[in-house]
Amino acid sequence: MKRLRADRWTGQLLVARSSQRGCCPAAAGALRSARSDQHYLPVRSQWTAVSSPFSEATETTFATTLQAPRDPSELPSPIPERALHSAKLASLHARLSLPKKLPIQTLARTLVDASADENPLFNNVNLAFVGQTVINYHVSEYLMARYPRLPMEIVWASMRGFAGVAPLFQIARSWGVESAAVPGGEVDPGLLQFTTESPGVSLTKFGYRRTEAMYLEKYKWRRGISNRVVFDDDFGESVNVTPGTEQTAHEAEMQKKERENDEEEEENEYSMRRYGDDVTRSLAEKAHAHFVRAVVGAVYMHCGRDAAHNFIKAHILSRTLDFGRLFSFKKPTMELALLCDREDFDPPVARLLSETGRQSRTPVYVVGIFSGKDKLGEAAGPNLDHARLKAAMNALKAWYLYSPGEHVRVPSDMLADSAKKWEPAYIDIGEIISR
Amino acid sequence: MEAQLTRRTAASCCQHLILSSASSRSSRVLLRPVRIPTTAAGARKQSTRSRTKRALNIPPHPSFLEPQQKPGGNHIVFNPPASAPSVFHTPFKFLPKSDPRRRANLPASLFASSTTIQYNHTTPSSTSQLDDPDFIANAPLIGSDCSTPKPHHLTPTDVEEIRRLRTEDPVKNSVAVLSERYKCSKLFIMMCVSSPREHRDKIKSALEMVRQRWGPRRAAAREDRRRRWEMLFNSEL
Repeated sequence: MKRLRADRWTGQLLVARSSQRGCCPAAAGALRSARSDQHYLPVRSQWTAVSSPFSEATETTFATTLQAPRDPSELPSPIPERALHSAKLASLHARLSLPKKLPIQTLARTLVDASADENPLFNNVNLAFVGQTVINYHVSEYLMARYPRLPMEIVWASMRGFAGVAPLFQIARSWGVESAAVPGGEVDPGLLQFTTESPGVSLTKFGYRRTEAMYLEKYKWRRGISNRVVFDDDFGESVNVTPGTEQTAHEAEMQKKERENDEEEEENEYSMRRYGDDVTRSLAEKAHAHFVRAVVGAVYMHCGRDAAHNFIKAHILSRTLDFGRLFSFKKPTMELALLCDREDFDPPVARLLSETGRQSRTPVYVVGIFSGKDKLGEAAGPNLDHARLKAAMNALKAWYLYSPGEHVRVPSDMLADSAKKWEPAYIDIGEIISR
Repeated sequence: MEAQLTRRTAASCCQHLILSSASSRSSRVLLRPVRIPTTAAGARKQSTRSRTKRALNIPPHPSFLEPQQKPGGNHIVFNPPASAPSVFHTPFKFLPKSDPRRRANLPASLFASSTTIQYNHTTPSSTSQLDDPDFIANAPLIGSDCSTPKPHHLTPTDVEEIRRLRTEDPVKNSVAVLSERYKCSKLFIMMCVSSPREHRDKIKSALEMVRQRWGPRRAAAREDRRRRWEMLFNSEL
């Protein structure tokens, strides 16, 4: 008897082709249920050694389940075949103008969060990882080319502003994606499926876990910028995932506290937990963000580099981020003086340009910062000190927010065929003060 | 500021006239040269009413007038309202050497004072006071003047002496007293030496006592002031 290659079957379901090849939903259902019963052993792929092949017993169980598929409501997430009959999925596909190459089954898979379905063959973790990498690459490249003088902290803040969890959550909401109340095999595959009961898995990040990671949050140890550049992830946040739990220590602590509260409030019929709190909200936002990343990953895998770049430009980089509001200064006048010293400009002086109502309750002073004859910044304020500091901050922002132009070329533009010759982008010599 | 506001109002009235009816009489009235009140008090009042009216009758922005080269033709009016400058407009000085904008603006800024080479043949787009170098040079300075070089006159032995004095008797040798004696800033004294912990704790508890005597109004006002400073540095104001 020829042996059943179950992993190949799932592979077929997983890699949904554009020519929708028939695959048996019953088989898929059977597989899923078998896995949930712990008969099916770790995920095998072509290059892993077969540590524990199917035993005869497993095969027989498998055969019986094949003949009698279980109730879909026992599955953790809908089977891929049902994606073809979901109106929500079809409309989402059309609304996002996704290319035809991206099959609807893959789109369905992007909607299954790891907290709903732990099986990496059916949830969106792999696609989200690819998507996260592609998004972060394009956003950071854009920031570097568009605003070459941004300090590293502002770069991280703007990375969070473009590609962090909060903006991606907003994007998912703006796409009109709704979430299922409770995930399961019977729900519409066009709904985002996640649960706030279990945290799911966190995506692998590029960064190192420090040996002293446990104490960083506890004692609020300072992390210098150069230290963070080396160790931290793309958003400047410390990688603090404890290997066993796949969850940051902070989150684990929060959850533990929540659970304790829950146990206390168990008698209370109307506990806060039922209506959501900070933890559930953050989990929901994370699930939405993973969905957006997974869609980008799916576009990248099915339609290629250019389509993914265009998709990111259309949905992520097109969003408005007020860079002027990201800055927070401590000693702006000193920083400006250091800048002028470094660049061999005349030392900056503040001059009063105009004023009104000095004797009144609401005076306004307009102060300009000059270096030699050139005005570097100007601001109005209710007293001379405010106006002067604000003018200095405006001058510093004008320095930091220098941009070579609105439509700068980024290195990934060179990957296109018939790209023009690359002109070196402007790179600044570095930050004014080290933090 | 007052004068500026008045001028804007006059200009916008003038714009209305030119664009709608282009009545020559009214523009002639507006074109009549008058003295703009520039006294320190920003005098809006002359000794008679008619003189006040005439004084406040300011000529329109040059962009509103018909160009002398092409009378009767269409022209673009460019006189944006007064607004805070955007931080996204990089000052010329901050442009890197390789920036094309620098090359484009260089001749104009190089020969700005030249009487023979004129790069701007059209009417000047703005008649800002900032174009006037005398105005900038005469504008009052605010804060510490960075242009005077710092003396840097203290030697390591002086610093040692400062440390010794401050540690011995922090009450008598306060920061203000030491900075006065050594002709340096208070910040420098504080950089050299920090007072003993007992002294600091004493000062802190005394401040706390003072703070406890504040009523709700003063406490709220202080808190508001602190938050205003915080908002200022976070660019929220």
